[in-house]
Amino acid sequence: MAALLRTEGLTKHFRGLVAVEDLSFALAKGEVRCVIGPNGSGKTTFISMISGHVEPTAGRIWFKEREITRLSVVRRAQVGIGRKFQTPSVFEGLSALQNLELAGLRLAKPRAERMRASESILETIRLVEQRDTPAQFLSHGQRQWLEIGLLLANEVELLLLDEPTAGMTAEETAATGQLVQHLAADRSLSVIIIEHDINFIRELKAPITILHLGRLLREGSYDEIAEDAQVRQVYLGTTGHA
Amino acid sequence: MTMQVQHGGHVAAASSRGGWMGGEDLAAMVVFGLLAAIPLVTSGYAVYILPQYMLLGLLAMSLVILWGYGGIVSFGQAAFFAIGAYAMGLVMKHAALPINSAYLGILAGVAGAALVSLLIGHFLFSAGVRSTYFVVATLALSIIVEQTVKSFSDITGGWNGLYVDRMTLTLGPLVQLSLFDDMPMYYTVLAVVVPIYVAVAALMRARFGKIVVGIRENEDRMLALGFNVPAYKTLAFGLSGLLAGLAGALYATHASFAHPSNAGVLFSTQVVIWVAIGGRHSLLGAFAGAIVVASLSNYLSSIEAIQEYWPLVQGLVFIAVIVLFRNGLAGVVESLFGKKRHGRAA
Repeated sequence: MAALLRTEGLTKHFRGLVAVEDLSFALAKGEVRCVIGPNGSGKTTFISMISGHVEPTAGRIWFKEREITRLSVVRRAQVGIGRKFQTPSVFEGLSALQNLELAGLRLAKPRAERMRASESILETIRLVEQRDTPAQFLSHGQRQWLEIGLLLANEVELLLLDEPTAGMTAEETAATGQLVQHLAADRSLSVIIIEHDINFIRELKAPITILHLGRLLREGSYDEIAEDAQVRQVYLGTTGHA
Repeated sequence: MTMQVQHGGHVAAASSRGGWMGGEDLAAMVVFGLLAAIPLVTSGYAVYILPQYMLLGLLAMSLVILWGYGGIVSFGQAAFFAIGAYAMGLVMKHAALPINSAYLGILAGVAGAALVSLLIGHFLFSAGVRSTYFVVATLALSIIVEQTVKSFSDITGGWNGLYVDRMTLTLGPLVQLSLFDDMPMYYTVLAVVVPIYVAVAALMRARFGKIVVGIRENEDRMLALGFNVPAYKTLAFGLSGLLAGLAGALYATHASFAHPSNAGVLFSTQVVIWVAIGGRHSLLGAFAGAIVVASLSNYLSSIEAIQEYWPLVQGLVFIAVIVLFRNGLAGVVESLFGKKRHGRAA
C-alpha cells in the first residue's frame, strides 16, 4: 500500500548544527507512530518540516503521493496536515465551542452541519461540560485536547502531535491515549506523536521510531525497541527497567 | 426582558452570541433613534454639525473593523478619509457629465481609498508585516498623502484647501433634492450611516468577522489551520479603507471643504483616540465615541479658559481609558447591563 506520508533523505542543518540528517520515513493511512529520542535528537524539527514551519536543507516530502516539500504552512494545512504545537495554541478568548466552530470555517459547509460536527468533537475530546468556557480558563490538559479538536474540526488527515500529554495528570494521559487510538481506529486518521512519557508510549502499542542526533536509530514495536541494547544505551539508560 | 438560567441548565441560546461581539442591537436602536429625533426637536447648529460627527463616527467604525476585530492598529485612516474627500471635491469641480457628478465623486473616493488600502494591505500583509511595523507603515501613509496634497497645490489648492460644493441627490429622472439645507443633508447622512452600521455589524458576526477575530486571537494558529491570513487581513484593511473613503467624500461635501489636515497624522491619531474611548471592540461604541469626543472638543475648545488645555485633557482621558477601561465606553455600558443579557450558569 502506498504511504500517506513519505520522506526521503530529509535533512535540516541550522548553520553548523545538524538537527535532522538523511531521514527516510513512511507512514500508512490510519497508522499511529511514536517518534521518540533524547532531547536534541531532532523530533520537533522533523515534525516542523512536515508541517511546513521549517524548510528542509535537503530531502523531499510526499503526502498522498504528491510532493509537498515546498508548500507553505497554509497550503499544507489545506491538503490535510494538522499540527498540535508543544505549547497548546488555541483561541484563548473564545469558548471551546467557538474554537471548534472557527476551525471548521475553512471548510465550505452549511452552518448546521458545522455546528453538529463541533458538538460531536466536544464529546470526542471530553469537553462537553466546558463548551461555553473560554479556552483561557481550561486546564492545561483540556487545552491540549481542545487543540486536537481544532485539527478534527479542520478535518485533517494527518495529525502531528508534539508532546500531547505534557502537563497532564495520569488520568488525562490515559484518556489521551484512548483518544489517539480512537482517531486512528474509528476515523482512520494518521497520527505522528512525539512523546517522552514511556508509560504512555507502552500503552499506545504503536510502532516506534527512535531518533538519535538527527538520524534514524531504530524502528519497531515497543518490545523490540525495549530489548535493543543500543537503544537502551542512548535513550532508556543502560541499567533501568523499561 | 430578563432571562433566568437555572443552575446547571443548558444555556445554548443565551451564549450562542457571546464572545463574537454582538448584542448591541438594542443600544444601536436607541442611538440611531435619538439621532433621527434631534432635527425634530431642535434646529440650528446641532442639525448643521451632527452629520459631520456622524461621518467621523463612520471613520471610527472603519478602524474598529481593523483594530477591535482584527487587532491591527492603523494610523492611516485619515489618509483614506482624505483620498475620499479630495476625490469628491475634484470630481465635482471638473466633471461635466450627464450623470450626477457627486455620485461619481463618491464612487471615485470610495474606489480610490479601497484600491489604495487593498494594494498597501496586500504588499504589507503578504510580506508578513505585523503589529508595530504595520503601525509605522500606516503613519507614513498619512504623511505621504498629506504631503502629496500640499505639493500639488495647482490641483488641490495646497494649504488653502479645496472648496467642495454641497451635493444634490438625483432620485429619479425628474426628481432632484438639494442638500444645501442642513435638514435634508442631516437625514441623507443618517440614511447612509445606519445601513452601513447594520451591514458591517452583520458581516462581522458572520464567517468573515469570525475569521478576522481568529486572526486577532491567534494568527499562527489560523495559518496552521489553513486560513489564508494575509488575504483576510487585506480584505479587512480594504473594507476599512473603503468606509474611511466614503466618510471623507461625504464629509467634504458637507463641510464644503477638503484640507491637507484631513490626511494628517494628528487627525489619524484622533481617530484612534475616539475608538479607544468609545470602545475598540464595538462598532456602535466607536461611532458614539467619535460623536461625543468631537462634540466635546468643539464645545470646550470654544471656551477660552479651557482652549489650550483641551488637547492635554484629551490625552489624559485617552491614557486613563487605556489603563482603566480597556473596552472604552462600550465596555462600561456592557458591564452595567451585560450581566442580565449574558446570564449563564457556572
